[in-house]
Amino acid sequence: MKQAIVLAAGEGQRLRPFTVTRPKAMLSIADKPILQYVVESLAQNGIRNIVFVVGYRKEQVYDYMGNGERFGVDISYVTQGAQLGTAHALSQAVDIAEDEFLVLPGDNLIEADTIADFVLMSTDAVLVKRVDNPVRYGVVNIENGEVKEIVEKPKEAGSNLVNTGIYAFTREIFKFTESILDVPDVINNMIAEGYTISTLETEGTWLDVVYPWDILNINDAVLRDIEATQGGTIDAGVSLKGQVSVGEDTMIRFGSYVSGPAVIGCGCDIGPNVCIMPGTSIGDNVVISPFTEIKNSVIDNDVSIGPGCIIEDSVIGKGCVIKGRFTAFGGQSEVRVNGESPLANVGAILGEDCRVENNVIAQPGVIVGNYCQVQMNKMISGRLPDRSLIY
Amino acid sequence: MCGIVGYIGEKKAQPILLNSLSKLEYRGYDSCGIAIAADGIEVHKDAVRVNELKKRLAPLNGTAGIGHTRWATHGEPSGVNAHPHCDCTGKIAVVHNGTITNFQELRDTLAAEGHTLVSQTDTEVIAHLIEKYYDGDFEKAVELAVHDIKGSYTMIALMAGESRLIAARKDSPLIVGIGDRENFIASDVPAILDYTSRVIYLEDDDIAVVSAGDVRIKSNGASIDREEHKILWSVKDAQKGGYEHFMLKEIHEQPKVIRDTLAEYISASEPAADLAVAGRAGLENLLILACGTSYHAGMVGKYLIESLVKAPVRIELASEYIYSGQSSPRNTAIVITQSGETLDALKALKKLKEDGCRVIAITNVVGSTASRLADQTVYTRAGPEISVAATKTHLGQLIALYWLALPYSKVDIRKLDELVMELRQLPVKVQQVLDKEDMIAEYAKQLAEYDNIFYVGRGINYPVALEGALKLKEISYLHAEGYASGELKHGPFALLGSRTPVVAVVAQDNTYEAVVTSIKEIKARQSPVLALVDEGDENIPELVDSVITVPQVEPLFSPVVNAVVLQLLAYYVARQRGCPIDFPKNLAKTVTVE
Repeated sequence: MKQAIVLAAGEGQRLRPFTVTRPKAMLSIADKPILQYVVESLAQNGIRNIVFVVGYRKEQVYDYMGNGERFGVDISYVTQGAQLGTAHALSQAVDIAEDEFLVLPGDNLIEADTIADFVLMSTDAVLVKRVDNPVRYGVVNIENGEVKEIVEKPKEAGSNLVNTGIYAFTREIFKFTESILDVPDVINNMIAEGYTISTLETEGTWLDVVYPWDILNINDAVLRDIEATQGGTIDAGVSLKGQVSVGEDTMIRFGSYVSGPAVIGCGCDIGPNVCIMPGTSIGDNVVISPFTEIKNSVIDNDVSIGPGCIIEDSVIGKGCVIKGRFTAFGGQSEVRVNGESPLANVGAILGEDCRVENNVIAQPGVIVGNYCQVQMNKMISGRLPDRSLIY
Repeated sequence: MCGIVGYIGEKKAQPILLNSLSKLEYRGYDSCGIAIAADGIEVHKDAVRVNELKKRLAPLNGTAGIGHTRWATHGEPSGVNAHPHCDCTGKIAVVHNGTITNFQELRDTLAAEGHTLVSQTDTEVIAHLIEKYYDGDFEKAVELAVHDIKGSYTMIALMAGESRLIAARKDSPLIVGIGDRENFIASDVPAILDYTSRVIYLEDDDIAVVSAGDVRIKSNGASIDREEHKILWSVKDAQKGGYEHFMLKEIHEQPKVIRDTLAEYISASEPAADLAVAGRAGLENLLILACGTSYHAGMVGKYLIESLVKAPVRIELASEYIYSGQSSPRNTAIVITQSGETLDALKALKKLKEDGCRVIAITNVVGSTASRLADQTVYTRAGPEISVAATKTHLGQLIALYWLALPYSKVDIRKLDELVMELRQLPVKVQQVLDKEDMIAEYAKQLAEYDNIFYVGRGINYPVALEGALKLKEISYLHAEGYASGELKHGPFALLGSRTPVVAVVAQDNTYEAVVTSIKEIKARQSPVLALVDEGDENIPELVDSVITVPQVEPLFSPVVNAVVLQLLAYYVARQRGCPIDFPKNLAKTVTVE
């Protein structure tokens, strides 16, 4: 297999506010978009001819991934005008697909190990994974190593093996994608017409992000594997413990304590006396002022955090300005997202470019939309739509 | 302005020369040509772009050659005037980038001595001068020829029967690329990056003798060692990555450019350069010099420094300063040039140095002539810019100016903290403008219907209006005028009317009331008005025909977000009109001629 077609056109509505301005595949985890992990995994398995199917906010993909040279791969792009389904997305690549190719979701965390054996399989094939709670996924019923049927979100799952959305196909697939919109339906139809679809089970990492707080889980999974690297300037009197990665041009000032696993991006200004605890990812161009503690959280690019804040189990969108004494502790909370009310252990979720004045307290599970403003001494909770003003 | 290349080695020179030339088309592309040495010298040239020449040529065998892509200065673009140029015998060929000021005199002398010059170019005299001085020593003949020339003469000479190229540099850039049993010469690095990343930058007055296995450099007759550089960025940096045009790609790179340019200085809390130097009254005598888009960045710098540092700033066009400018040795001057090779800016820079000024260069090109001549350089970290119309380098220049001024600002510490924080937030604000691209494209469609468009602004956004108009002129070929809105009543009102739309840049600063008054005056003359307003503004939308809202930022930083809106507007107008956006007619990226 020499070519991969990566589907990166989807929006991910349940991940709002983070997907208002970017596709789901471009969500940032440990200072990299999810899509980059997919690309790196492909490159490590020797697949360097990569086609991206883009659509929703495609410029975000262009701007970050470019022609792929930064990642040692060759990227070409095709556009899916309306996001009608995965098979429809795949069909956009009909003109540049080779005889055989892999298909992967660009918005799932896929590590190199996950696909190492699969890239050697012959077509047609599906990569499956054993999960605890299969009813959220497409359950794959298998007989003698071959797919019998894929059932999307069944009420009762016949097996714990689910579809990872990672496939190996030949150009034959394009006979079906003209009329069928989703790949699992395509596979069911192919089976009905006598095609054999083999399966391989992976033990490797395959994680999907469905709700905003899933960003924390996936961040955790990525951080477990990071290696310590040191760029920038680390003042004397700074403690770096465990696996900590620090980007170029970043300044960590006297008395700060960073306990890994943690990632800090480029051009940041941190400290003095800042405490960064395990499970924390910090993007580029982030300022963290004295006496602030951050733990198990994801802070996106261009964020500025004032003095004396405590931020735990939280996701802070790019460009947020948080003044002093902001408090966000994690806790059990029930959050409504698109009519679903899953339970989560989460602190605060802030969309991009929010401005939070001094002494604001966030209740566990608060989801603040993009471009919101919160005045001094407020307590915020529940779900705040984009451009909310909290007076 | 032109791009020149040379190759000598074991491979066939033709494909290498043509590929290298195609990478230099940003320097000019109205005609091109190559000369290859085999038994004699074969020259192929015409008033076409490199790709067209490539299609026309049959394979040639020689392994040494020179090539040229031209932007006309002396003589119209034509096959005869295209380079390379030869001597009477057809054994010497020359490519040249620059302007020879005494060429008429040289031409008359050569003609009187019996030489036949066939073109109207200044370059041809070089080939005939080498012929005149040739007595069996190619190297000496080139040295003597160069000695006779006044002006800028960066060139490469090729001679039949010689196993070396001889290059000379004066006032235009030239580099030597070091290969394995082959060597390259080019105006700029991208030309050779497909073959090698080892580069020597030649200095003014250098003569380089380059053979397949050896590079010798002489300065003023004596051999000299020049440092070899390793280039880390690669040619592919310059590809379009999903976008239809380099210009749109480069517009979209701007959040990253801001972040990268800031990262260099800001987290270290260091001034970008020393505006004030002990023992000098630098801050009271600041001078900014630039041309074109860089000049508009400089104008923003003037408003900015005067507002923050409370010191008067003089700004001049570099191209005019060399004729009229006066400066005292106590001045600190800031020279802004994207390429670091703009001839007018370099001439001004040299004049400033002669006058004893301290010069700070703001440029995007590491190792460029400007950075080597200046006392200090502030680099914009924008990466190579391919689109002829500058976008990301302009934003980089603004950011550099902000970071030059902020450490010297006379505001209180609270305000300063706020300013630094807002500056760091600009990548997000610019991204929000980019996220509105579709809406801006819609307004551009409407503007594309008109033939004449006014851009107005005031205060620190006056240069933004000028830059917006310049972008539109450059790429859409529409007539656009940038004006300080207070100046409209002194004449331009006569041009307004329902067929002349006005793009108004409105900022939430002390100019607001005055701009509102201007907009009312403009509306009274039936001009359609498109206003760029702050998100929170409820007043202006009532007054004008259409509105593009921009994210709220500190008014001093509003030129950054407004500039991006106007870049997108110009881009989509040009696209609507079907213009060749990245390579507009009659323009070249780096202007290394007067």
